[in-house]
Amino acid sequence: MTSLNAALPAVARSRWRGLGALIGTELRVQLHELTSIATSFIVQAVFLVFVGVLAREYLSYTLVGAVVFSTFQIGQRVQNEAAWIRIDHKLHELYHASPMTPEAYFLGMSVGVLTAYSAPIVLLFGVADYLVALAAPVALLLVAVLVAEFVFTASVGYMISTWFKNMRSIWPYSTLFFNFFGVLPPVFYPLFLFPKALQPVALLLPTAGGTALVEHADGILPLPTDWVILAAMSLLVGASLAFVGAVYWARRISRER
Amino acid sequence: MNSDALRADSVRKIYHGRSGPDIEALSGVSLRIARGERIALLGRNGAGKTTFLRIASTLLAPTSGAVEIFGRDALADPESVRPYLAVVPQEGKPFMHLTPREQAYTYLRARGFSRETAKSRADHALDQMGLAEVADRLSITLSGGQRQRTMVATVISTEAPLMFLDEPTIGMDPFARREVWESFRELTVKGSTILLTTHYLDEAEALSQRLYIIDRGRVLAEGTADELKHRVGGTLRVSIVSGDGIAQQLSTFGPLVRDGDIVHVITGPHGLQEILSIAAHANLTATVGPVTLEEAFLHVVGRSIHDES
Ligand SMILES: Nc1ncnc2c1ncn2[C@@H]1O[C@H](COP(=O)(O)OP(=O)(O)O)[C@@H](O)[C@H]1O
Ligand SMILES: [Mg+2]
Repeated sequence: MTSLNAALPAVARSRWRGLGALIGTELRVQLHELTSIATSFIVQAVFLVFVGVLAREYLSYTLVGAVVFSTFQIGQRVQNEAAWIRIDHKLHELYHASPMTPEAYFLGMSVGVLTAYSAPIVLLFGVADYLVALAAPVALLLVAVLVAEFVFTASVGYMISTWFKNMRSIWPYSTLFFNFFGVLPPVFYPLFLFPKALQPVALLLPTAGGTALVEHADGILPLPTDWVILAAMSLLVGASLAFVGAVYWARRISRER
Repeated sequence: MNSDALRADSVRKIYHGRSGPDIEALSGVSLRIARGERIALLGRNGAGKTTFLRIASTLLAPTSGAVEIFGRDALADPESVRPYLAVVPQEGKPFMHLTPREQAYTYLRARGFSRETAKSRADHALDQMGLAEVADRLSITLSGGQRQRTMVATVISTEAPLMFLDEPTIGMDPFARREVWESFRELTVKGSTILLTTHYLDEAEALSQRLYIIDRGRVLAEGTADELKHRVGGTLRVSIVSGDGIAQQLSTFGPLVRDGDIVHVITGPHGLQEILSIAAHANLTATVGPVTLEEAFLHVVGRSIHDES
């Protein structure tokens, strides 16, 4: 019975402990959804075909938009995955009552989902590079935009996921975000086709703003310098705030009220 | 370092209904669990067991009260106690696209165990839960009971110092339940502390060293199963169906406990013969047996644990 009175084992605590393991777990789980992964870029593909047929001259814009939008959609998947694991499986309780921090849980799930669903992005990226011939700095900028884009959506998605008590009520929001961030604003079509007065507003959206930045760098979308700064700042600040917010929220919601 | 594993003081929880009225799920629950104890919270559906377990395991904030885990304030600093906890949530499910072996292994890895430790602990826990044969099948192909066993295996493989298990054997067949009980005993011998909830009387009796009977958000009784049975007031139970008409007469032999239209007379060997003949006179069937936790529960709560309402 000596063990009962022994001191508790010291647990080395680190903020990101278990992160790699959870990424691996989530990746393993997601890779069983091959159909879902394979169909995840159907919308983008359809838009590409439409634009290719109807307005070939805008195809480069649609390509860049498709890459950015794919990343946005993966962030949306984080939202649904987090909600699913919490509502249907209750597995979040296993991870919260453990040495793992809530923020490692959030990040591990996000990166796991991203990794599993990154195939469409890589594919589109390859196509974009082939058709539009992205210069190295532009390609780098695109990657940076995608990272910021993902951080933004996954963070917001994770926060949103915790507000729902059942899965059904989440679905309408996915459709809403899909249309509000992807279909309506100038993501799949160039910014200059958007109503002039609303163009700076569109640049505030991470999807439209990120797309415009890459297109500007690639030389296919002239933008005034202050608009470039506006889009870049909005994406950067938006992603940073969203991430800090998600870490704060993940910690807070790990004990429900 | 001799602090209790868990101490709860006057824990209250009010759920604020979004559309309905507020619900007071816990009205001041206090309990104390020493290290290495196996304790059951026994109560009907809606008694507040899950609410208490979630508060004690840092997953839900109480409305008021105090919770200490291994001497640390679990409300002020949940992060400092979480490394010592492991939880089987009520109605949880493993990842459908992992096998039980992957489920336990990946969870242990996420908790920071080395590959070797994770592998050997996962294998051991799956064996204990009788899952060896299905350990490499995806959970989506398993039965509800097997999935539940996977959850229990995942959590006990941590050998965490303090484990919370909410209705751990729900959906399991009697044989599997016995395996679970056995593994819990082994864990507490190794030094873990276990708090579980159940609404199975046999489980509470077989498994726990002490139990708390909880109803409508309050602890109504605490003790070993034997102590609780003794408190009913006798060692034998004579159960008479539709015995209300002779209740007056019966009450002279010992306390009566009612369960629907069954009247249980709690008595000793002395009055047995007479009670049986009274029942026979009234043309009623009587059965005799030892006092069980069932009567203890009825005595304390006033309603059967099976009574849904
Ligand atoms: N999230 C919640 N919101 C509102 N009421 C709840 C919630 N969870 C539980 N309750 C209520 O609190 C009471 C206790 O529930 P619970 O702790 O789940 O009991 P048990 O686990 O013993 O069945 C019940 O009346 C239940 O309806
Ligand atoms: Mg419950």
